[in-house]
Amino acid sequence: MIPKIRSGIAGFDNLTGGLPENTMTLVYGPPKTGKSIFCYQFLRQSVEEGDLCTYLMTDYSLSQLEQQMMTFNWFIHDYISNKRLYVIDTASGSVGAIQKETKNMMVSFPQNPTDIASKLIQQLQSVYQQAQRFRSILDSSTTLFAFNSPILIIRVLKSYTMRIKMAGGTGLITYTEGSVEPQIETMLKATVDNIIHLDGEELTIEAMAGLKHEKASYRISDEGIVVQ
Amino acid sequence: MVTDAECKRKTYIPMLDELLGGGMPAGTSILFTAMPGVTSEVFGYQIIAERMRNETDVCFIYTNTRTPVEIEHVFQRYGWDLRSFLDSDQAFFIDSISPMMGMPAIGKYSIDDFRESEKTITNAISDIAGGIAVIEDISTLLDSIGVDPTFDLIERLNKEARSNDVNMIYMFTRWNYEKVMLDRLSDIVDCEIKLFSVEEKVIYRQVFAITKSNWIKTSGAKIFFEVLEPGGVRIFIPKLLVTGPYNAGKTTFTKAIAPDTVSVERQTFELFPTTVGLDIGHIDYKGFSADVFGTPGQERFDLLLEPLGREAIGTFIVIDSTKPETFVRAKEMIRMCRTEAIPKVIIANKQDLPNALSPDEIKKRMALWEDVPIVPVSAANRQGLDEALDILFSLIYRI
Repeated sequence: MIPKIRSGIAGFDNLTGGLPENTMTLVYGPPKTGKSIFCYQFLRQSVEEGDLCTYLMTDYSLSQLEQQMMTFNWFIHDYISNKRLYVIDTASGSVGAIQKETKNMMVSFPQNPTDIASKLIQQLQSVYQQAQRFRSILDSSTTLFAFNSPILIIRVLKSYTMRIKMAGGTGLITYTEGSVEPQIETMLKATVDNIIHLDGEELTIEAMAGLKHEKASYRISDEGIVVQ
Repeated sequence: MVTDAECKRKTYIPMLDELLGGGMPAGTSILFTAMPGVTSEVFGYQIIAERMRNETDVCFIYTNTRTPVEIEHVFQRYGWDLRSFLDSDQAFFIDSISPMMGMPAIGKYSIDDFRESEKTITNAISDIAGGIAVIEDISTLLDSIGVDPTFDLIERLNKEARSNDVNMIYMFTRWNYEKVMLDRLSDIVDCEIKLFSVEEKVIYRQVFAITKSNWIKTSGAKIFFEVLEPGGVRIFIPKLLVTGPYNAGKTTFTKAIAPDTVSVERQTFELFPTTVGLDIGHIDYKGFSADVFGTPGQERFDLLLEPLGREAIGTFIVIDSTKPETFVRAKEMIRMCRTEAIPKVIIANKQDLPNALSPDEIKKRMALWEDVPIVPVSAANRQGLDEALDILFSLIYRI
C-alpha cells in the first residue's frame, strides 16, 4: 500500500486515492488548462491539513497568489502570517523586494538557479526542523527554461526534486507543454515520479506508482478543478 | 629578504590564505566548485571587495547569472561598498545577463552572445593588469556554449591572465555533471576549492576544502564556514567549552569573549551569583565564528558536564590563579567533560589579584599536560583575552 496525501482536487483523490507521499509530480499541458489552479488547490489542502508548504513562484508574487486564490474563496492570509508558507519569488525580483526578505519570503531571480538553490536549502532547513512531512510547489518551470539553457534547468530540477524528497516533501512542478524541445521534455518527465497531463477537458495520469494509465474529464468551476 | 608568503596575494578568506601558503601567486586561477545549495558567490565577492579595499587592486566581475544591480545589492548586504569602487573605475562589470533578458547593459563591457565572450573578457583582463577577475558562473557557460568551447575559453583567459599578472576566480555550481568533465575542468585551473555540505537530509554545515593546488601541497583539511550578513565568510567552530572549578570566573570570561552571552544563574547564599545551568554565547573574532558553552562549576552539577562537552572541539579551562587548592578539581572537570583529547587552553584567571600564581608556577602545581598552553588572564579587566582566543583557534586548526 502506497501512502498517499490528498491533492485537494475534487474527484482526483477519489480517482487516484491522492498523490503518493514523498514523490514529485509533474503537472503539464498547454496554456490555460488549469496547471496553476491545480497548485492553488494543492496549497489550499495544505492549509486545510496544517502542513507546511514551500512555494517557488516564477510568474506571480505572493500577493497575486493570495488574490488569485481569493477569487475561489480560498483564504491563505492566516496561513501566511502563521509562517506556514515558505515562498521564493523570482517574479517580482527587484532590489526593493530583496530588502524585505525573511526566511518565509525570499526573493530570487529566474536566471540564477544557484541562488534559488541556496535559498531553497535555507528554507528546507527551517521546514525540516518543524515537520517530517510537508508540501512543495514549483509554478512554473517554464519560466526557468525560458531564462536559462534548458539542459541546465533539467540539472536544477533534478537537484530540486532530490532536495524536496530528501527532506520529506511531496511536490508539484508545473510546465507548459511544447515550450522546450521534445528531448528536454522527455528528460523533464524522467526527473519526476508522477506525470499528470491537463488538456482543458481531460486529465490523464501518464505515470503514477500503482496506477494504470487513468483518464478522466474535468472542468474548471468557481471551486477550482473538478474531476468527473 | 622577501619570503614566499609575501609574494602571494591574499584572498582575505579566513583560513584559506594559511592553507594556500599565504595566498595566490600572481597570474594564477582558482576555481570555486560549489554543490547546489551552498552559499558560494560570497567567496569571489569577498576576495575582490577586500583586495580593492586593502590592496587597491583593480577588478572586474563577469556575470551571466545576476544583473550588476543585484550584485551591487549583494555586496551591500555583506557590508562591502562596491559603488564607490565602480564610481572610481577601480571595479567594473562585464554584463552578460542584462542583454539576454532584454534589459540595457550596465558596465564597461557587455556581451549579448556567449560566443563573443572570449574577445571581450580578454580585453577586460588586459585592462586590469595585476588585478582580479571574477567569472560567474561557469555552469551557465557549459550548458550554453558547450563543454569544449567553455574549456577553450577558460584556457585562453588563463593564458591572458598569466601574462597580465591577473588572478582569475571562477565560480562554478556543480549540478549533475559527468565526472570526466569535472576532472577536466579541474585540470585547466591552478587551484580548485570545493564548497560542499555535511548533511543529514538537509544541509546543516557548510565546508570548504582545497582539493587541488599547483603551488602548495594540499592537506585535504575540511574547514567549516558560515556566511554572515554583514561580514562574509567566517570559519565556523561548532562548539567551544568553557569549564573550570566553582567561582573561577567562567561566566565573566565567557561574557568577556562573547558579549551577548546568556546565563542561567541565580543568587546563592554565598553572595556570589553562580551559574547553575549554563552560559551560551557566540564569538565573531578574526574570521572565526564560534558558539560558546560555559559549564557550571559546582560538584552537584557534574552530571551536566558530559552532555555539555559532547561535540565540543576546543576547551578553555578557567582556573582561579589565587586558589591552587582548586587545581585538582579543574583536572577532574576536564575528565568529566571528556575533553582530554581536544585542543585546550588553561586560562589562569584573576591575574590582577596580588596573590595570583604565575603561569609557570601553575603549570608546575597542576603537573599535567606539558603541551597545554597557559594564558595569564584577567577576565574582569579584559586582559589576555585575544591571546587566549588566538592560541585556541590556532590549536584547533593547527595554523
